[in-house]
Amino acid sequence: MSRKRALISDAFNLKKRRNGTEQFGATAAEDGPADIKSSLEYLMTLFPRKLFNDALPQIVLKHQLYSIHSDKTLVDKEVNKMRERGDLLMFQLGFDAEAFGLVFTSDYKAKVLVGEEGKTTRATVERFLEKVVSACTDLSFTKDKMLKEFLFTDSEITQLVKSGVLTVRDAGSWWLSIPNSGKFTKYFIKGRKAVLSMVKKSKYGEVLKAEIEERRTNSQVKFHMKYHIHDIVGAELVESIPTTSGTLLRSVDS
Amino acid sequence: MLGFLTARRAGLDDPLRLRRAESTRRVLGLQLNPDRDVDRIHGNGINTIDIEAVEGRYMLSGGADGVIVIYDLENFSGKLQYTCKAVCTVGRSSRYVHKFSVETVQWYPYDTGMFVSSSFDKTMKVWDTETLKPAEVFQFEGNVYCHHLSPIARKHSLIAVGTTNPKIQLCDLKSGSRIHILQGHRAEVLSVRWSPRYEHILATASADSKVKVWDVRRASGSLFTLDQHNGDKSKASSEAVNTAHNGRVNGLCFTGDGLYLLTSGTDDRMRLWNSATGENTLVNYGKVCNESRKRLQFTVSRGCSPEFVFVPCGSSVAVYTLHTGELVTMLRGHYNSVDCCEFHPDYQEVYSGGKDCNILAWVPVLRPSDVEEDSDHEVKGAAGQSSVNPAFQDAWSSDED
Repeated sequence: MSRKRALISDAFNLKKRRNGTEQFGATAAEDGPADIKSSLEYLMTLFPRKLFNDALPQIVLKHQLYSIHSDKTLVDKEVNKMRERGDLLMFQLGFDAEAFGLVFTSDYKAKVLVGEEGKTTRATVERFLEKVVSACTDLSFTKDKMLKEFLFTDSEITQLVKSGVLTVRDAGSWWLSIPNSGKFTKYFIKGRKAVLSMVKKSKYGEVLKAEIEERRTNSQVKFHMKYHIHDIVGAELVESIPTTSGTLLRSVDS
Repeated sequence: MLGFLTARRAGLDDPLRLRRAESTRRVLGLQLNPDRDVDRIHGNGINTIDIEAVEGRYMLSGGADGVIVIYDLENFSGKLQYTCKAVCTVGRSSRYVHKFSVETVQWYPYDTGMFVSSSFDKTMKVWDTETLKPAEVFQFEGNVYCHHLSPIARKHSLIAVGTTNPKIQLCDLKSGSRIHILQGHRAEVLSVRWSPRYEHILATASADSKVKVWDVRRASGSLFTLDQHNGDKSKASSEAVNTAHNGRVNGLCFTGDGLYLLTSGTDDRMRLWNSATGENTLVNYGKVCNESRKRLQFTVSRGCSPEFVFVPCGSSVAVYTLHTGELVTMLRGHYNSVDCCEFHPDYQEVYSGGKDCNILAWVPVLRPSDVEEDSDHEVKGAAGQSSVNPAFQDAWSSDED
């Protein structure tokens, strides 16, 4: 739709745009939807596959995208679109009510099937993946739904829980989950705490993003520093301030 | 800007467009102005402020010491530097002053002859502005957190009151009766708000994480409870209950047209809801720091496009765009946490009050006027202003003949 008249909001540019393409310090990713997929792929590369012996698919947290793109509502909308298309799966990771993990569907299916090689539960898991994961985009399932809509029996549900694809949430309802993700959660929380304390302990409680990315990770931090930085910036556990020497991360006193 | 002006002149554009564009430009230029001050009367934190709807001239403020002050916001002095003077005060020496902190004050929506204040001394008083004596006092069993009078009501004159009791009381101003009760919440009611669009619709927020919308004409319970997951049970950590937030809900604000409702909670989130269907519009504002144990008073701009939300966030006021959730700016200036803020629709100014006993006025700062205009203004203005712009002064010496 072409506009004959400009929108009022366009008349007031909230930020002065420089003529040069490079901006000091904070680089902002402009543009829209296409970029969300590429930022997802970039974040996936930061995930350490070797650490879990390649048993886990690459997991990215939804709020890590907020640290790359400024418009959170747009990111949410794009993620929902990708979920509805069936490209992306979202999981409740359990340690935070707002932390959602994102995995590409193809990755997830591949890893789960590899993990199920030679196990008795394999057939049920395959059926589950085909019927349920492909069909609906929910994060959790109730007993009713499993029995009636998807025609799984009680014993089959037990097998699914055993294989790790479902995690108990309530009596009679289950979260969709990633098998063997307990290790991921453990290392993730430890690493997050360690990085946050690194920021807090620095002089004045603030550190340049470029500097902390270069620091040696101590034994607590198993992931790539950048992975954790995106996480704490996106979850707003630190304030991200653009300066002339780059982005500054300042710990939030709460 | 010139584009808007010429289009308006030529009739290509609706007059409202120019007005909206100018309002938006002014809101984007809000800054703490050294010339505008508000008289400092309160000795303790300021909990609530209200600007009257009729003229936008008088502002009420209620403090933590029980003191209520009325300020005159209009600048008739002709000078740029102006302090909003306190017109009258219900101070500690008055016989009728509240014993404990005043939590909410509100002008009577139709004229400034009356205002209502409610406080932690478990009373709500209806004051006569002329004599500064309460015309009516309502007693309650628990601390009164908030009250609200409907700004558009013609058929009723009910005041909705939220106290530590989970039942919401409706007090009638005309008869003084309080028999109408709304039941449904399970914990103390932190905020109540009438809709500016329909005079019978009331929204209430409570510490039990729920926000309920009521039609007061209905005998049975609430119309609906807001659900942050929009019925998508899979996202909630527990299946049972519809909650608007994952913590106490302590702020409620309708937009100017009444179509949307904003709620803020102690889970550090702010949500925008469609007020007719109760649907969460899922606009993501990010982390909106909220540690208040009482009501948080925040406000939405009126007459701009896009609309802005001003919400107190720690010791500054955060300005977000309403429908996209983008943080526009943080207004910093208070020395301690900010408790309340109010938007003046006619001048696009924001007044905010906080624990540092100050009320700060955020005034749009546009480009400074040109030299020529300045000197004109000074000549026309107060007589006796001796400073003349050097450009207009004679520069040749009078010795020459």
